[in-house]
Amino acid sequence: MAEDHHGSSRHMSASQKDLGDEDARVVRVGDAERTSERLEYAGNAVRTAKYSPLTFLPRNLFEQFHRLAYVYFLVIAVLNQLPQLAVFGRGASVMPLAFVLIVTAVKDAYEDWRRHRSDRAENGRLAAVLSPGEGAGAQFRPTEWKHVRVGDVLRIVSNESLPADMVLLATSEPTGVAYVQTLNLDGESNLKTRYAKQETLSTPPDQLTGAVIRCERPNRNVYGFQANLELEGESRRIPLGPSNIVLRGCELKNTAWAVGVVVYAGRETKAMLNNAGAPKKRSRLETHMNRETLFLSAILVVLCALVAALSGVWLRTHEEELELAQFFHKRDYLSKDKDGNYNYYGIAAQIVFIFLMAVIVFQIMIPISLYISMELVRLGQAYFMIRDTRLYDESSNTRFQCRALNINEDLGQVKCVFSDKTGTLTQNKMEFRCASIDGIDYSDITRQQPVAEGDRIWAPNISVNTDSELVKLIRDGGDTYQGRHTREFFLALATCNTIVPMITDGADPKKKVIDYQGESPDEQALVSAAAAYGFVLVERTSGHIVIDVLGEKQRYEVLGLHEFDSDRKRMSVIIGCPDKTVMLFVKGADSSMFGVIDKTINSDLVQATEKHLHSYSSLGLRTLVIGMRELSQAEFQEWQMAYEKASTALLGRGNLLRGVAANIERNLRLLGASGIEDKLQDGVPEAIEKLRQAGIKVWVLTGDKQETAISIGYSCKLLTREMTQIVINSHSRDSCTKSLDDAISMVDKFQSFSTDSQARVPLALIIDGNSLVYIFDTDREEKLFEVAIACDVVLCCRVAPLQKAGIVDLIKKRTSDMTLAIGDGANDVSMIQMADVGIGISGQEGRQAVMASDFAMGQFRFLVPLLLVHGHWNYQRMGYMILYNFYRNATFVFMLFWYVLYTGFTLTTAITEWSSVLYSVIYTAVPTIVVAILDKDLGRRTLLKYPQLYGAGQCEENYNLRLFIFIMMDSVWQSLAIFFIPYLAYRKSVIDGASLGDLWTLSVVILVNIHLAMDVIRWNWITHAAIWGSIVATWICVMIIDSIPIMPGFWAIYKVMGTGLFWALLLAVTVAGMIPHFAAKAFKEYFTPSDIQIAREMEKWQDTHDVTHPEVQMSTVVRV
Amino acid sequence: MNSHAAGTSNGGSGDAGGAGAGAARRNTRMPKYSKFTQQELPACKPILTPKWVVSVFFIVGVIFVPIGVVSLLAARDVVEIIDRYDEACVPGNMTENKLAYIQNSSIPKDCTRTLMVTKDMKQPIFVYYQLDNFYQNHRRYVKSRNDAQLRDPSKANKTSACEPEKTTADGKPIVPCGLIAWSLFNDTYIFARGNENLTVDKKHISWKSDREHKFGKDVYPSNFQNGSLIGGAKLDPNISLSEQEDLIVWMRTAALPTFRKLYGRIYVDLKENDNITVRLSNNYNTYSFGGKKKLVLSTATWLGGKNDFLGYTYLIVGGLCIFLAFAFTLLYFIKPRKLGDHNYLSWNRHPAGR
Repeated sequence: MAEDHHGSSRHMSASQKDLGDEDARVVRVGDAERTSERLEYAGNAVRTAKYSPLTFLPRNLFEQFHRLAYVYFLVIAVLNQLPQLAVFGRGASVMPLAFVLIVTAVKDAYEDWRRHRSDRAENGRLAAVLSPGEGAGAQFRPTEWKHVRVGDVLRIVSNESLPADMVLLATSEPTGVAYVQTLNLDGESNLKTRYAKQETLSTPPDQLTGAVIRCERPNRNVYGFQANLELEGESRRIPLGPSNIVLRGCELKNTAWAVGVVVYAGRETKAMLNNAGAPKKRSRLETHMNRETLFLSAILVVLCALVAALSGVWLRTHEEELELAQFFHKRDYLSKDKDGNYNYYGIAAQIVFIFLMAVIVFQIMIPISLYISMELVRLGQAYFMIRDTRLYDESSNTRFQCRALNINEDLGQVKCVFSDKTGTLTQNKMEFRCASIDGIDYSDITRQQPVAEGDRIWAPNISVNTDSELVKLIRDGGDTYQGRHTREFFLALATCNTIVPMITDGADPKKKVIDYQGESPDEQALVSAAAAYGFVLVERTSGHIVIDVLGEKQRYEVLGLHEFDSDRKRMSVIIGCPDKTVMLFVKGADSSMFGVIDKTINSDLVQATEKHLHSYSSLGLRTLVIGMRELSQAEFQEWQMAYEKASTALLGRGNLLRGVAANIERNLRLLGASGIEDKLQDGVPEAIEKLRQAGIKVWVLTGDKQETAISIGYSCKLLTREMTQIVINSHSRDSCTKSLDDAISMVDKFQSFSTDSQARVPLALIIDGNSLVYIFDTDREEKLFEVAIACDVVLCCRVAPLQKAGIVDLIKKRTSDMTLAIGDGANDVSMIQMADVGIGISGQEGRQAVMASDFAMGQFRFLVPLLLVHGHWNYQRMGYMILYNFYRNATFVFMLFWYVLYTGFTLTTAITEWSSVLYSVIYTAVPTIVVAILDKDLGRRTLLKYPQLYGAGQCEENYNLRLFIFIMMDSVWQSLAIFFIPYLAYRKSVIDGASLGDLWTLSVVILVNIHLAMDVIRWNWITHAAIWGSIVATWICVMIIDSIPIMPGFWAIYKVMGTGLFWALLLAVTVAGMIPHFAAKAFKEYFTPSDIQIAREMEKWQDTHDVTHPEVQMSTVVRV
Repeated sequence: MNSHAAGTSNGGSGDAGGAGAGAARRNTRMPKYSKFTQQELPACKPILTPKWVVSVFFIVGVIFVPIGVVSLLAARDVVEIIDRYDEACVPGNMTENKLAYIQNSSIPKDCTRTLMVTKDMKQPIFVYYQLDNFYQNHRRYVKSRNDAQLRDPSKANKTSACEPEKTTADGKPIVPCGLIAWSLFNDTYIFARGNENLTVDKKHISWKSDREHKFGKDVYPSNFQNGSLIGGAKLDPNISLSEQEDLIVWMRTAALPTFRKLYGRIYVDLKENDNITVRLSNNYNTYSFGGKKKLVLSTATWLGGKNDFLGYTYLIVGGLCIFLAFAFTLLYFIKPRKLGDHNYLSWNRHPAGR
């Protein structure tokens, strides 16, 4: 049994606690009134919507102002409302904040409206609820879901969704079985069997009134449930477990009807409790951005302080003149107070006011709009990732999913990938490959062939190749010792499982198609194999199974079943055979099975089987050992009593059952072992190779055995023959310490060795879960880290889910490397949440991993285009956009600052207040967003052909302090050009403020847009439209503003555009401003080219060559 | 920069559409293929090749240098006579206390200046007054106006933002209100060449748009300039604002603290060595804040007034570009690199680096 499947029960142990009466939920069957009389249980109405029309405004605003940036916005807007500080008019000062708030609010409102709509639809669905009839007897009446209450008895028909979590009371099947599909809950499409208890099966639902169910409190564990049922008038308590409950969101299938009693409703259902959103993560780039934002704040404070200080000096030196200077007019002659001044409170106050006004005027130094732009850009990037046909998985019909919207760019900086094995690297579609029966190895592939169709009645939907010799042995073996053993082996495979056969008519009326439904793919493979060899499981009820043994239907009573658990690592069934004997069949992991096998019976057999097991696992097969024992009547009765006692126990039922199982699972006779192939997913070896070339370390964390893990490692090219393997595999604390020390000395040796010769020996670390426990226990993490970081490949086997998270944390805590975890099962959840980027594979093992992930996709190999292409683009785009936004706003602020120096330090802006406000919202916002969504530095093919190009993100080449300083220097230069060229040209002239302001507005907008244009790498029509359109839009806006007669600058733009000097200056400013950037760019790209640059050139000049080149096809098309 | 369109078409994997697969396709969630969603829109990928870099610099240089020369010549053509008179017009006995002189209305403010024409001046000759250190862009000042009031007689009461020249002491609204109007420049000039009077045409010195749309034809000054502190000129209450061109010019606040305002035009050609007599009344108080007043006579060209700066800018920028063109050419010869050569890729240069 693979640990991966059942790992979920290990770390989600909320319901594993034993149920005490005091905190139990008491449900009175059929009596909703009394049920919720004492404790208010949630009704069944669900509410996923956040707001109601009344609460929308306050709640939405409250949530929006959680962002610090918005608070900054608000403080500035409020400051501006003080009469002494009124820099902008009311409208202009509130506009940016209002704009952002309204845009976000509209978005939120729309989303919430959709949630409201779906809530209404969901709550308005109908379910048949048993209502106590007046006299004539109870009837099921259609009731809206929202009126369903805990304690109500419901009747569900086939293909109907379940409105709440219910305990089954009866079903249409006489055995009380019901099949449910849990697709909506965990994405598993196979049918699960649930049972109604025999005790309630035959009672009409209306007569169950008075029965009481005591169950645990609502919790998130979808795989656990503990309760008991007390029928009226009986003191016995009937135990209820996970197999007796059906959950909201599931659908009833293949069962005509089922009757159940609601135990959890509405928001307390397991489905709703699991509906928590994706965790909030922050991207690395955004964290770094905060550092630069701090620098900008510092610059802002310096600018403001400078203006305030200079204004103080100016006021001091001109103090005597202020009263009569016509432009100051200090005194207010209308004031009643004869010495009253107008808006003047002494130099000290004036300095404070000027400082605050400067903050208002220069506010956009901190680019608030950037936060909104980033959100829009991430939305755009997510759109492209979701829409990418290369990230669509045909086999599971799933698209790429972006669950977290704020870490897109982290995909471009990953240095370490932690991958689960089963279901992630491998398909988790098990295929029975070979068996060792009675010490004889049947693994010769050459002898295997598909089952001959012929006269077979049953056709399982999974075809298995059979070994002809084995088939012969079963058919003709007769009563030989060997033949009997072989038959027992396959009987064990057919009985010892929880598979449900679903029989449908095939194309040929004589043949029946069997669909084996079950929770474990290993079991499906084993049952299919048994069927192929003539042991066809055709029917299962809660009490018996029917097996078609070589054409003859036989009925076996299932007397008891000990389910798989991760402590025992085995499962067993107790079967009553047609010949009245009682058999115990056990299957489990070899480590646990050899402990309970009676080796004295046949030690040669045990040794041979062990040898075969070893060779199977080195082929990468998953192995299971099968054993059996015939039980004597006395033994059976003893067991039965213990079993019944344990399974009705209220306290410690789990432990008691484990005890019972351990007691009976002993002295087994070894039947044999099976080898199941866990097929690799498509393109995994190629994908791993690409990731390695891209400088990404791949760690595999698996629950499998060391041998299996290593062999999978080889088959997916994670491990290569030339690698030196360091194995840490210890059974005690001391030996673990020792092997760790050995490992360190080995690493040191190889590292010193590698400096001498150029050829470095790649190292691989293989470590198992036990050793990890010792290492984490004894604070030797540091040493493990040293070893791990020196190795190219790390393979951790036999690790528990929480250890996976521990390993991720080991790297995350000690390095700044970006970590990515990818997995598909519930056991990967902790690792996915721990890593910087968590990716869920939406595959076989349910949706728990997907629910916890930031991104979800269908195949492991999509990691390559995701990281190398989308990740690279996202990072490059986002990095550039942030820098550009800093530059763009700083240029504007510096330009304002230079002018302030010529206005007596009074913060006048020649640019109209509306232009100042619209600058970062309309004039320059669209191009940067468009470019950040659409620009590509390199094409998909180049990025896939040269995975090394991914290094740009890992080394933070597109966003770092150096680039920030350079772009700020550029910003200062350009602001100087924009300001001083017109200033010097218009000195001592009739130029008015509005005209000059318009010139400055247009120059700064043109300059920053051309700057962007110069850095755009791919021009398509959208980019052209955005950039040139933005300049045109600015021009139009300026014209509109200047067409309003009550604006002081009325008609200025038309007047100034009529002068030659205006056009001459615009051209001069643009060219003079761009020269340094252009020259630096030309120099850098030619003389110190980055890999990206060279690849761009290659792309341009070798494109035509490559199209016809077959090599490209091979290296880019990963899909098979 | 060397551009050629190249759509990155890559094995049309998305387009599986066959009519037969119609039913199956309805269920599939496979994203629809389009060049847009696959980010494969045809695009042009410019690259800064040496040829492009050098040509861009060279072409910019070749365009800029001639423009620079032309504008420099144009600026040199402009004849400009500047006369600072604020100091000279103060009577000798009052130079120590200029403020008392300007504030005492009983002292006559007349003053005569003689200007010598340095070069032939073709008409029209523009007459400007220039104020230095007058912060017409001071925040207190620029904000102190109400444009609504200037257009519409019914909005005479709209005096918000006009503080501290908003209303009279008894609360009547001032039209035009605010510091800007209040501080209207009020020096006047009369020009003569010998005995011949040179008429100054004061028509159309303001913007047509201002006269027609910004200042109302039926808005008349009221309560103007009758507070305790006189800022400047008084206005004739019988002339509508749209005809008060000096006010309109003044209210186009200057961008910079040293500025000129158009006073009028003289439609007479002046000859070199002509002596122009200016009789001016030196009313405006710039003494209180150390400002300067200058009278400027100037011809004009297509580039405006006499300012060499634009020409020099073009020459310098153009020269720099030509220099850079040569510098880059040289660099490209000294250290050539084959573009798109995969040997330059970092992992090919240091094969053991990774």
